[in-house]
Amino acid sequence: MIEVQHLTKRYGPFTAVNDVSFRVEKGEILGFLGPNGAGKTSTMRVITGYMPPTDGKVVVAGYDVFTHPIEAKKRTGYLPETPPLYPDMTVREYLNFAARIKVGHLTTADRNTRVATVMKKTHVDDMANRQCGKLSKGYRQRVGLAQALIHEPEVLVLDEPTAGLDPKQITETRDLVRGLAGDHTIILSTHILPEVAQTCTRVVIINKGKVVAVDTPDNLTHQLKGAAVLYVQVGGTHDATSALRGVPGVRDVRETDRHQEYLGYEIEAEPNRDVRQDVAKAIVGAGLGLLELRPMRLSLEEIFLQLTTEDQQANAAAAAPAETAAVNEEATNG
Amino acid sequence: MAESLRNIRAIAAKELRAYYSSPVAWVLMGLFAALFGYFYIVYLDAFVRESMGGQFGQGPQTVNVNMSMIRPLLGNASILILFVLPMVTMRTYAEEKRSGTIELLLTSPLKDFEIILGKYAGAMAMYLGILAVTGIYMSILFIWGSPAWQTVLSGYLGLLLLGGGFVATGLFISSLTNNQMVAGTASFVIFLLLWIIGWFGESAGPFWGSVLRYLSITEHFDDFGKGVIDTKHLIFYLSFIAFGLFLATKSVDSDRWRG
Repeated sequence: MIEVQHLTKRYGPFTAVNDVSFRVEKGEILGFLGPNGAGKTSTMRVITGYMPPTDGKVVVAGYDVFTHPIEAKKRTGYLPETPPLYPDMTVREYLNFAARIKVGHLTTADRNTRVATVMKKTHVDDMANRQCGKLSKGYRQRVGLAQALIHEPEVLVLDEPTAGLDPKQITETRDLVRGLAGDHTIILSTHILPEVAQTCTRVVIINKGKVVAVDTPDNLTHQLKGAAVLYVQVGGTHDATSALRGVPGVRDVRETDRHQEYLGYEIEAEPNRDVRQDVAKAIVGAGLGLLELRPMRLSLEEIFLQLTTEDQQANAAAAAPAETAAVNEEATNG
Repeated sequence: MAESLRNIRAIAAKELRAYYSSPVAWVLMGLFAALFGYFYIVYLDAFVRESMGGQFGQGPQTVNVNMSMIRPLLGNASILILFVLPMVTMRTYAEEKRSGTIELLLTSPLKDFEIILGKYAGAMAMYLGILAVTGIYMSILFIWGSPAWQTVLSGYLGLLLLGGGFVATGLFISSLTNNQMVAGTASFVIFLLLWIIGWFGESAGPFWGSVLRYLSITEHFDDFGKGVIDTKHLIFYLSFIAFGLFLATKSVDSDRWRG
């Protein structure tokens, strides 16, 4: 439905988007994730035909946005970061105008029904006769969304649709977006990670204009786990570190919780090795009570940091082998 | 074609609405009416004196309301619009760029020329509204006198073309910035320059003098006030308008490329 091929966008000497490629299939919600200034908005502006790419091309619903902008734009709804509202128009007038310039061929009656339908869908019908300039942030965002939906586009591009909303509005907006997924293909940008996990079927992570990862939120968390990490809770206050270190395949043990009734440990295992059974046996064998044993997944937050702070990661990787060797030595000595 | 017209109309209607939903339009119309009214009274007074003088055999034998009243009055109006039109055009693009609504227009299935012609038509409609106020004064002349309507009409045609050139230029200047005050001031300076450029023509040599006089946008207005519709002037104004709109189109397009 959306195909971005080797997209590059430069502003003078500054490269905002650097050779970005990805595809969005029909009915998908693609999360476009990156820190501020990563090139999300630039990419979206090219996809929506707001500006031309410096290099590469974008095909929306079968139309190249650069060579057939009108056809592509007829099939794309766009909610920019700041909803493009005219402050002195009422919500109804504004949507009517949007309908006029996006679907010219409607009769007045058809246009009115369409405006009414969209207002209902985005829950702004109670503000229909209020001026856009006097709306609250949440309503503005939804009127902006209504504007993006007015021509029933196949593709929706939403630039940070939940930015600046309160938690309740965020949940509402997410539900709204999820509800739209069946009829529309959606690209949604955000720098808020849980949003991606909750709304999107696939994630593109972008940093400094480059794509650093494309996958489903689940796969990303799995794939990036690196070494498997387990969390173990042991009853009592007896130190279980040495018992855990003795388990084959365990690289490192850290005590994370100290409580009157239990101790919590994080166990780092060698990659692709399931040590859960052995860990359980070791704890029970040492005469301790096993209260909890679960694999820990990195949250998207951590993945995001890992991916977007490459330099630090490279340094950490360089330091890691020495550390591991030390641990192993300790383990054998112990 | 039908679709383009529909889009242009939609944008023009939106622009016109924006003028009239804010006090700007009313203030401009009021201001213009007051200033025009002042000149009207001054010229009417002069005209009445002149014609009375004529009766007593002191002045010229024939006094003509067209030549001694309407022509200088419309000449003054042509200077007045120089002050008023920057206020009409300054917000057209600058405000859309500042508030981000330009994103709606540029991502809607509209062609650049449709947006520009729509905005042009909207601003021209606003200008017509301002000119319409002067119709009140003119109708008084027609009720109690009998001016030649053809001359009046050609004078208005001249005003329309002159204003059309200013509006096209103002649209272009507004598209260069996202600050409407900057757009307004710059437009005013440019309009002023286009007006007084003819003065420099006086002191320049014969060749450059004629070039500068030709470029002066008000220089071409005079004949319209006399009731003469010369294709030379018609072509000057029409190409002036076309050039302004062309620049505006290019400016919006280049803005896009710069992002």
